[in-house]
Amino acid sequence: MTPSHNEAFNAHAIHEFSFWFMDLQKLRNDFPLLASPSNKPVMYFDNACMSLKPRAVINAMNQYYEQFPACGGPGRSGHALGARVREAVDQSRQTIARAIGAQHPNEIIFTRNTTESINLVARSFRWNAGDVVLTTDKEHNSNLIPWLNTRRLSNIRHAVIPSLPDNTFDLSAFEQLLKLGSVRLVSVGLVSNLDGVRVPIAEIIKRAHAAGAMVMVDAAQAMLHSPLNVQALGVDFLAFSGHKMLGPTGTGVLYGKRELLENLEPFLLGGDTVSATTYTDFQLLDVPERFEAGLQDYAGIIGLGAAMEYLQSIGWPFIESQDQQMNRIITEGIAHLKGVHMIGPADPALRGGIVAFTIKGMDHHQVAVMLEQMNAILVRSGQHCVHSWFGSRGIPGSVRASVAFYNTVDEAEQFVQAMEKITTLL
Amino acid sequence: MVCILSFIVLSITGLFSSTHRELAKEAWGCVWRRVTLRPCTVGFKEKIKGRLVAWLLGRSTLAAKILNRYFELLSWTLVVLTMVSTFWTVRGLYNYYFYGSCNGLNSTGFCVFDPAGENNQVSSLNTQCSDKPQKESDVILSPVPVEEFPTKNAGVKNQVVFIGCYSCDYTRKSYPLIQQLIKETGAQYTFVHFPVKPETKYLSAYAQCIADQNIEQFWKWNDVVFASEKSDIAKPEYIQTLMEKNGIDTKKVLECVNDPKTAETVNRQYNQIKSTHLYGTPTIFFNGRAYVGPKPYRVYRNALRRFLPW
Ligand SMILES: Cc1ncc(COP(=O)(O)O)c(C=O)c1O
Repeated sequence: MTPSHNEAFNAHAIHEFSFWFMDLQKLRNDFPLLASPSNKPVMYFDNACMSLKPRAVINAMNQYYEQFPACGGPGRSGHALGARVREAVDQSRQTIARAIGAQHPNEIIFTRNTTESINLVARSFRWNAGDVVLTTDKEHNSNLIPWLNTRRLSNIRHAVIPSLPDNTFDLSAFEQLLKLGSVRLVSVGLVSNLDGVRVPIAEIIKRAHAAGAMVMVDAAQAMLHSPLNVQALGVDFLAFSGHKMLGPTGTGVLYGKRELLENLEPFLLGGDTVSATTYTDFQLLDVPERFEAGLQDYAGIIGLGAAMEYLQSIGWPFIESQDQQMNRIITEGIAHLKGVHMIGPADPALRGGIVAFTIKGMDHHQVAVMLEQMNAILVRSGQHCVHSWFGSRGIPGSVRASVAFYNTVDEAEQFVQAMEKITTLL
Repeated sequence: MVCILSFIVLSITGLFSSTHRELAKEAWGCVWRRVTLRPCTVGFKEKIKGRLVAWLLGRSTLAAKILNRYFELLSWTLVVLTMVSTFWTVRGLYNYYFYGSCNGLNSTGFCVFDPAGENNQVSSLNTQCSDKPQKESDVILSPVPVEEFPTKNAGVKNQVVFIGCYSCDYTRKSYPLIQQLIKETGAQYTFVHFPVKPETKYLSAYAQCIADQNIEQFWKWNDVVFASEKSDIAKPEYIQTLMEKNGIDTKKVLECVNDPKTAETVNRQYNQIKSTHLYGTPTIFFNGRAYVGPKPYRVYRNALRRFLPW
């Protein structure tokens, strides 16, 4: 284990003891939307789309704008403000690398979001015709379309791993597909935004590696809910979004093992990606700079680092227990209601922070509108960018409540009461 | 259907609320997509339905249940009702503008723009009982021997025949308007006295005789009679003073008035006017079309305008 690794694990252990004393109201006060009495109170259950932002993140960004709003980037302004930007960005990179257990901060590439991170790999990978990419049958469009497009552009093949009837990962189907050979990359969502189901990532990576394939993990829905250690798991590429884990909007990360990143062919080039150019040639900078073309969202990157620090200060045991508690209250409260059909496994423990359902005889959008109208409960309705899954099953869409650690038991109970009322209409 | 209805309703409520304005915009997007034969994209119907059902659910579960179940049917019904009421509102506005009543020319039904029904009041001839409602379309000009009555601007295209009574309030209200109209348009104008009140019945003969003697003096005298108090004009002595003041040969007029032939003519004319099916004064014919009751000036003006080339 590396030193950074140890640190992360020690922090984990300390929090295990401290979370019992966590004062939820105090914690909610960290979030302007939840704390400010001038804000109309809302019950925010759309965390899978976008998490709320703690003041620490907003302050970190403001600090950039107010104190050193200058250029960062290699070879840019050498003055004091520029140096502060570079320092803050480096610090953010280190925080994130440490948090996800990367071997080196340079394995962290800042992007705009998960989508960009996945596209970066899809576009930059040196594919051979006939290479196979595997995804599951319930991927977000951002982890499906890039591969369909690569199939068109680079002549790769794409195959879909079917899920089990309860929407959990089917290891034996996966094994069958690996056996067909030529699998170059397995790209899976660690936690599904459709139903919150977590795939057995350690097992997937083990089997993929055994079959000579690499693994890309779409961790967009995982980062707010559980710890992750890329080295311990052997993850090859990891993508996630800052805005779904308390960070600023339009921030994301691509992690890649260093040797893999060095082997990618950057597709976005320009300022800050090269050390020298002539009229006929250019010299690429090292990883990660070669992938971060042009001036970056420095405030966002700094805010993302602050978000990661804040998240770690809360501690995973508390976060996980909150997710579980909310999901259990909501699931137990609504699963038996008339017309309600839960998506994914019945056991809330298998669905992280997500409760997704359909109501027979009532449109999902209508339910969402009613929840907001009646109790200011904000959820998402629709196909949640998993059109392929809904389309193949002939389901028009679902209502999705996604919790975060700052949700309260009272909110979960009010959600249940609102649903009880709505289902009396059936 | 929902989007059309919502668009209409939200466009109106949107004047007062910005959230409704947003929704109205969305509704319009939806209407436009429908018009261009594409489905609505935004789940607009569900949005509106959700809002309404949620609102009702807070008040009555049963009502919310009914709305939830029959939303499409109810919205169709409302659209049809909205269209019908829009038609009637537009028609009402048109009628009010052109005829002074929402319900069409000389209709006395309630009209929001003229709640007291001022524009359709008449001084009634309670001489006969009618078993059917009196209608302007039943009133015809043809029995009136127009040429026998005082006439101005003879021979021009537009013709106005004013049948009024000297001592009736509504006639007195519209008389100055008609004078102004004639001045402004130069239309042919005939004045016909039809005595609704017995106390001024005698003035028909006076009018006839003065006009026969000197038409210019008659118009002046006529204006003065309408400008005088009702109680005064009921007295022949007062009328005679007026004649003198206006340089009319009173003696000659009185001779004519007392001539039994005059009485006969006036009587005949009275019966002829009655057979127009006239039911009150003022009744004013604009190119043969009767307008009963005092109307706003614009109605009289529009009655002589031609809006269409045919
Ligand atoms: C599982 C998963 N993958 C990818 C994405 C795309 O994230 P972004 O829009 O931040 O790129 C999402 C967003 O909802 C997601 O839930």
